[in-house]
Amino acid sequence: MSAPRSSTVRTTGRRRALPMAALAVTLVAASTALTACGGSGGGSGGGSASGPLKVWVRGAGDSQKAYQMVFDAYTRKTGVKIQLFMTNTDFETKLNAAAAAHKLPDVVIDDGSQLGAFESQGIITEVDKAKIAGADQVSGAAWKSVVDDQGKTYGVPFSAQANVLLVRSDWLKKVGLQAPKTWADLEKVAKAFTTQDPDGNGKNDTYGLDVPGSTQRGYLSWYWSNFLYQAGGNFLVPSGSGGFDSVIDSPQAVQAARFLEKMYCTDKVVQPGALNNLTTDTNTAFQTGVAGMYLTGPYAYATMDATAVKGKYDVVAPPAGPKGVGSLAEGTTVYAMAGSKRAADFDTLASFMVSAPAQKLGMTGVPTSTIVRLPINTTVDPAKVHADDSRWQVAQQVYANSSTYEPVSAPDWQTYRNDASESLNKMLSGCDDPAKTLSSLDSTYTSLLKK
Amino acid sequence: MTLTEDRPGRGPRGGRPRPPAGTRSPSAPRALLRWPRAATPWIFLAPVLALFGVFKFWPTLWGMYLSFFQVRPYLGNKWVGWANFRTAFHDAALRSAVEHTVIDALVTVAASAVIGFGLALLLEGPARHLRILRTAAFLPVVTAMVAVAELWNTILYPGGYGTLNTLLGHLGLGPEPFLSSPHSSLASVMLIQVWKSAPYDMVIFVAGLAGIDKQLYEAAAIDGAGAWHRLRHVTLPSLRPVTTIVITLGIIRGLRVFTEIYVLTGGGPAGSTETIVTYTYKQGIQNNQLGLASAVSTVLFLVTVLLTCLTLWWRRRKEA
Repeated sequence: MSAPRSSTVRTTGRRRALPMAALAVTLVAASTALTACGGSGGGSGGGSASGPLKVWVRGAGDSQKAYQMVFDAYTRKTGVKIQLFMTNTDFETKLNAAAAAHKLPDVVIDDGSQLGAFESQGIITEVDKAKIAGADQVSGAAWKSVVDDQGKTYGVPFSAQANVLLVRSDWLKKVGLQAPKTWADLEKVAKAFTTQDPDGNGKNDTYGLDVPGSTQRGYLSWYWSNFLYQAGGNFLVPSGSGGFDSVIDSPQAVQAARFLEKMYCTDKVVQPGALNNLTTDTNTAFQTGVAGMYLTGPYAYATMDATAVKGKYDVVAPPAGPKGVGSLAEGTTVYAMAGSKRAADFDTLASFMVSAPAQKLGMTGVPTSTIVRLPINTTVDPAKVHADDSRWQVAQQVYANSSTYEPVSAPDWQTYRNDASESLNKMLSGCDDPAKTLSSLDSTYTSLLKK
Repeated sequence: MTLTEDRPGRGPRGGRPRPPAGTRSPSAPRALLRWPRAATPWIFLAPVLALFGVFKFWPTLWGMYLSFFQVRPYLGNKWVGWANFRTAFHDAALRSAVEHTVIDALVTVAASAVIGFGLALLLEGPARHLRILRTAAFLPVVTAMVAVAELWNTILYPGGYGTLNTLLGHLGLGPEPFLSSPHSSLASVMLIQVWKSAPYDMVIFVAGLAGIDKQLYEAAAIDGAGAWHRLRHVTLPSLRPVTTIVITLGIIRGLRVFTEIYVLTGGGPAGSTETIVTYTYKQGIQNNQLGLASAVSTVLFLVTVLLTCLTLWWRRRKEA
């Protein structure tokens, strides 16, 4: 939005005209945030019993090609046409606008972490697992990720992933160390990367850890949760009565926060500016040799291999903390939208998307966009599909053996994640006491849970 | 929006064609003629008013209405009375966002006005080289904020090899953390805002300077006033209306600061650059609390109106 222009005003009308102009300008100013919320959706509405099935997918770029390939295969198989709308920009806002107009699409494909939010908004409907052909081939962990706090299934998993550790192999060689297996190793390698000039340029310009520490979209919490699970902690746990209890101030959680803080504040092995960094920034930091270790999802392989860092890094399981190896599990979910008259078509689409051919297509159809990171179908072996790339096996093993999903079924889980990010970001920037930080976050969680 | 034309029926009517006699009673044509005259400005204004109505005024009113609801687009909104306002007023994060916004607005308005005025004094005049310099100085204003912010992000990179830190290193200073420390982040963001808005103020001041009667300077010079006295007693008083506009626009700009902060720091680190609008965005878009976000926007709107009225009142008192 550009700055408002000054209004030229005649002397006679100045007294009346200036306040009017000022009022107009302020109206414009104040409504900036609100118009964003009231903007119209990018696609046309759903709810019709015939015509193409309306599907919205959060994503952009090459993933559009990949999804189109999967949907084309579905259309060839069933004859049901699909009208696809994809965007990464304000996807949930556009969905809100569609919801307000009661013109939701028939199907939405979005992060698994939206489950609680979508359910509490009433925009998704329950899925009958019995109607999904091949439901028994879907892994138990993936099914669990689409179950709400009452045990109801709200969506069908399409893709899964767990965070892995990307380490600069050339830097390891230079400092004479192995890829880290434990927290102690991680710290040792991080220190060596920071102080021993692993890129050999004679300058003190490298760092050990690459941390997306911004609070936007909850990035820091997302990153830190790996350490939380490695320590044996969690954010929320089911209370038994259908709700959740906060365990964010547990000794394990404090330990995980202290570990990250030690590396940031004491060892100073984290890349500069980390607390404002989003994944685009941390991707660049890893690609350009600013930081040498990056905990992230396997989708980063394609991103990294497109740059000069290709072939210069290894992929290993995240380090073991006090509890053992732990990693954040995430997924992509196919949601059935409220008000849709196409329940039967949803079932056939979801059945197709979990099937082995669709999963394989999502993994390899467009090499630059692996919309299926790890298959949720147990009959698909990622090691065979990506036969030439053992990095996917690492990811598969981490996902199968040591990963934990965030409590995505908590109503408005995003709010909890954002609050955790704010608290941790504040803690790191002030090098504050982790126990105090998490205790106050616990009070926030407790009051949110009461709502 | 000033009507300068004569009201029909009162002004001289010479030259206006009379309606054919005998078709209507004498009063009817006059009424018919009066209507289009009065409506003319509104017809011209209609397109822009319609656009503003749909995209600005209606959303603003709708936002005020939503402040009293828990917004649930699909299930239907739930009336919560003043609850959203209570939540907003009790939120420590919003209080610190208000503090940052006020500091940001005051500092950037003052600094931009002073620098803009200085630039205007240096670059005022019809000479061609001045026009080129003015255009160059104005470039930050017309450059897209997101692009500018990304550029500044690189310049202010906190490592020892960031652009500005390299320069500081040559002087034996730094490296400074700039945007990455809560102690310097707000100042860094303000620096960028001043860089962008000072030239805008400059243009307004240049227009103001051009409007000052040259005879006043001549008279002052004859009376023996030096450069400083001419500036103090001729230039500054003559620029009072212009200064009011600069300050009013600056405050409004300061209160709704968003883009540069969202791109540069996202409100961090540790919420040190969180402003009212970034807070509103987070609540509304990230946390899906559209009712609360509307309540905060409504308060911001009312405060902005109030501040604008205060500025106008202050200016009138000064000018009277």
